[in-house]
Amino acid sequence: MVNLTIDGKTIEVKEGTTVLNAARANGVEIPTLCDHPQLTPYGGCRLCLVEVEGARTLQPSCTLPVNNNMVVHTDSEKVREARKFVLTMIFSERNHFCPYCQVSGGDCELQNAAYDEGMTHWPLQPNWKPFPVDASHPYIIMEHNRCILCRRCVRACGELVGNFTLGFEERGADSALVADLGLPLGESSCIGCGTCVQICPTGALIDRWSAYQGKETDVEITKTICQGCSVGCGIEVLTRDNRLVRIEGDWDAEINGGVLCDVGRFEPKTDERERVLTPMLRKDGALKAATWEDALAVISSKMKSSNGKAAAIASTRLSLEAMDAFNQVCRAAGIQSVFSSEESLPTAAAWKIAEKVGKPFESKLDALKQADCYLLIGEDLTKDHQVLSFFMKRNLPAGASLIHVGSADSGFKNYANVILPVAAGKEAEFLGDLKTLLNGGDSKATAAKYGLNEEYLAESVKLMKSAAKPAIVLGSRYDYKQPVETCQAALDIANAMKAIFISSKGGANSLAAAQMGMDDAIDLTGAEMVILAAADDKFSQTFMKKFEKVPFLVVFSSYVSPLTASADVVLPVRNWLEQDGHFVNLEGRLLSAKAALEAPQDVLSTFEALEKLAAGMNVKLASTWKDALKTTSAVMVD
Amino acid sequence: MKIKRSMVLVSSDPHSLDKGAEAVYQRFSEELKAFDLSDEISLSKISDMERSDVAPFVIVYPEATVYGPVTPDDVHFLVEEHLFKGRIATRLQAPTKELTGKIAWLSARSGTLPAEQRIVLERAGVIDPDSIEDYIVHDGYQALGKVLTGMSPTDVIELLKQSGLKGRGGAGFPTGSKWQFVAGTKSEKKYVICNADESEPGTFKDRLILEGDPHSIIEAMTIAAYAVGADEGYLYIRGEYALAQARLLKAILQAKQMGFLGENIFNSGFNFELHVHGGAGAYVCGEETALIESIEGKRGEPRPRPPYPTTNGLWDKPTLVNNVETLANVPPIIRNGAAWFKSFGTPTSPGTKVYTIMGNVNLTGLIEVPMGITLREVITIYARGMKDGKQLKLAQTGGSSGSIIPARLQDTPMDYDSYAKAGVSMGSGALLICNEDTCVVDLAKVLLNFFRFESCGKCNPCRIGNQRAFQILTNISEGLGSMNDIDALQDISKWLFEMSNCGLGQTAGSPIKDILNHFREEVEAHIQQKECPAGVCAMSGKSTQTV
Repeated sequence: MVNLTIDGKTIEVKEGTTVLNAARANGVEIPTLCDHPQLTPYGGCRLCLVEVEGARTLQPSCTLPVNNNMVVHTDSEKVREARKFVLTMIFSERNHFCPYCQVSGGDCELQNAAYDEGMTHWPLQPNWKPFPVDASHPYIIMEHNRCILCRRCVRACGELVGNFTLGFEERGADSALVADLGLPLGESSCIGCGTCVQICPTGALIDRWSAYQGKETDVEITKTICQGCSVGCGIEVLTRDNRLVRIEGDWDAEINGGVLCDVGRFEPKTDERERVLTPMLRKDGALKAATWEDALAVISSKMKSSNGKAAAIASTRLSLEAMDAFNQVCRAAGIQSVFSSEESLPTAAAWKIAEKVGKPFESKLDALKQADCYLLIGEDLTKDHQVLSFFMKRNLPAGASLIHVGSADSGFKNYANVILPVAAGKEAEFLGDLKTLLNGGDSKATAAKYGLNEEYLAESVKLMKSAAKPAIVLGSRYDYKQPVETCQAALDIANAMKAIFISSKGGANSLAAAQMGMDDAIDLTGAEMVILAAADDKFSQTFMKKFEKVPFLVVFSSYVSPLTASADVVLPVRNWLEQDGHFVNLEGRLLSAKAALEAPQDVLSTFEALEKLAAGMNVKLASTWKDALKTTSAVMVD
Repeated sequence: MKIKRSMVLVSSDPHSLDKGAEAVYQRFSEELKAFDLSDEISLSKISDMERSDVAPFVIVYPEATVYGPVTPDDVHFLVEEHLFKGRIATRLQAPTKELTGKIAWLSARSGTLPAEQRIVLERAGVIDPDSIEDYIVHDGYQALGKVLTGMSPTDVIELLKQSGLKGRGGAGFPTGSKWQFVAGTKSEKKYVICNADESEPGTFKDRLILEGDPHSIIEAMTIAAYAVGADEGYLYIRGEYALAQARLLKAILQAKQMGFLGENIFNSGFNFELHVHGGAGAYVCGEETALIESIEGKRGEPRPRPPYPTTNGLWDKPTLVNNVETLANVPPIIRNGAAWFKSFGTPTSPGTKVYTIMGNVNLTGLIEVPMGITLREVITIYARGMKDGKQLKLAQTGGSSGSIIPARLQDTPMDYDSYAKAGVSMGSGALLICNEDTCVVDLAKVLLNFFRFESCGKCNPCRIGNQRAFQILTNISEGLGSMNDIDALQDISKWLFEMSNCGLGQTAGSPIKDILNHFREEVEAHIQQKECPAGVCAMSGKSTQTV
């Protein structure tokens, strides 16, 4: 511990703490612009300068480590003058019209800092050269006129996302933010995760929908989770007058620490699907609006008359409560075939092995963030479960290695040390041979067997063997022929190497779906009726084709789709932003989602719709979703 | 080995090469063959800018006669007269640089070379820089041998501390102490870096050492590595110094072949690997932490300190960073001892300093003289007085980041202590001598233009402050200034020093501070009388702001 004095107050903090953090932890506020708690301190803006007794010049508190007996003044005349000078400089550099800017209330940190320092005018003649505005990106606008060159976005792009798209060109007065080596953002390597937008202190990086749309002091913020995939990132949903303003990553969320991918941040804003607003029944060949009572009556009578010759399918975006109720209602009606929309993806494989082994074997995501060598099998994490790829990519500059057993055209081609394109269906066998190689086998023969470059394969083995904290990551969305065998082979390598093992699962609740026994391949043979709880899920053409010949189709859906068009009964349900519920993410962590928006009138949550259906069928629903999750899970449910 | 009776050295610095030195060398080679003298007379290239006034030039030893400028057509005559017949060809002889007056106590060298005290440039211009044999004959690698066979790392550091050697890069930090810091930091891996990113405008002392005597730096770095416990080093050479880079790469190969570099040097079990890393044209990369970032492949931006490179340097490992001139002092100190070194210069600033002289003087170029000489001596003796009999108005010492001093300070001894006392920066050793036709507003404008362009752009005060100051000075030089501008300039200068992250920003405001301290009336004349007393500024009354 170190003792120091800040503004006359003697405090004790841990060694290595910065003066800024020491001050903040003890209630002394120091203004900052380039600093951000999630980023490595940079010391660029100089707004946080403090006076340290004995130091030759003012010192940046954000980068300065505390010293024993240090005496710091954060509010001296000199420090206050210095802050004003910094702001004066910034205001003179580019076009910052903060005194007149009415639209950014609270979210522009430059404006806030200027108010805090009592700035009323530009002490130096602003010399505004017009800078370009880059609006080439589908989500993000780069407004150079508002940029204060603090590098938060550059650091976030590298340190948090590991993408390294943003950087700086030129130097001195000509310094400017660039994407790649000066490409328009829309043509650059940007993956549109929007972390830069979220971290920008001014309006230099803004999204197309929420910027200049009113003050941030004038929104409601709901902390909930993203349901785009099984990672379960913490998010903050900003709404105004029951409209979605924007979605931001929750900096305090343990899982993602603030980062999000485009699926979580921007896709909900670009969703243009038409809502289903009322129950509908097919009459004389055409879908007609109906009441809930009529629609539910038709369903329960059909369920009775089909006499168990029916199938039921639930989307993995359903909450645990809805999924459990769906199971209970269907089983009560004698329906034996209850599936999840993901059918036999490797989610189920990991689960099946866990059940057999009888104990958990997967690691928590925190372990993934600490690893120094990644063997990624299958999935292109630059397209799915992207936040997992951020955790991996951000460790690469510090020397972590990445070996991708997957397509040569993978999104990792610019990041991976080695890509090993093993043919689909050969993964399990290859992983078995790779394990042998790790014990000193003949890499030449193995390379020839799978048509791989021998050097690359040897390099992979070398990298894996030299790793101190290796991690095996098994993707879920690729063409498995033998999911269980592949998962087992990957797990064998992990065990042999004492590596951590993580499988990426599928949708938001796919682990729970597997645990509830809905993990078989969908088989609709002989089904006189099919009930599909689609909720707000988007399905592939192949998936929707399965339902073309179904004699009687019931769809619970938030949106109009080819499925609702061909259905016999359509029930309008809420989307993910409109309902509460629980989810189990890929590491088995139980997460709670909160409604951020009110649903349109007459639109029920899937759970409420199922409750009504159960009541009509005289089925008593038990709140058993916690019991339905099996505790010998692939990973433990907390 | 054949005994040569005479040695012909042809200048081959970039300036000479520009003026056709290669053709002169070729012609010598042909003519020596034609006269059948090849066995008796050695022919080599040297790198020495000192007589750039007569480039390309030729020096013939043992007489040390300097001929220049020499054209290929002169060569036949030279070979016939001097080398074949043995008569000095006076018609082609370069004008002599004579020694007079106050520095007669300096040990004069023979022949027509000027009297200097050469320690770091001892061999530059004497040996063939591409020949390791030449270097060895001239005491080369003797110091390394002495260190590796008979001295402990502590002995080396102790000797350096006793010598009182201070860093010649500009800051004047005691070299021995710096070595001790790195030696005292526990780590399995340490690095030694030679800062050869000499970018201070008007400074080319390091280039002369690198081009003229490359092995001396390799030897010094190896000694440094041994003393601090490093096994890998980087020579960060300015991008524009292509010749220096080529010579160092060649020298490293030669040293490796002879066993002065690489594994198990002198059978001592000590290993040292040395790399050359070329800069890419950024002034700020001469700042040691920006230089380290640059070697790591990152944008050249200075790091916050603490931590310092001595504990967290290259790849976060303890790193010793020394300037070329500093390192070049090390082998002579090892060979001759601390007392010998202290016999030069002043008690608190022992040794010599290399100065590069530019501006309104009769002779520009480079000199190595003991610390403590005055500016007046430099101008009158080495630079042979002010050009066209004009008066000295001011001098800028130490390059852009140095100081502007008025003529009345020209008798201050140039050593670290005396200059610090006078509030003047020694800097890199560049001396820009300006006569009464110089306008201080114009001078400051030129310097601030340099800084606004060369600031790395990381921290606000430097990136924006230099730009604003440049614009204000431009306004003043166009007759658009107001008295408020002086306050604004003073503010910027003050805060640049107080707030900037690195030395570049901290010193960028000194030209403003210096002209307002020493020449305030002249600046005010631009504003109040709307006239430039030196008649330099345009005073057009029109704004020329472009940015």
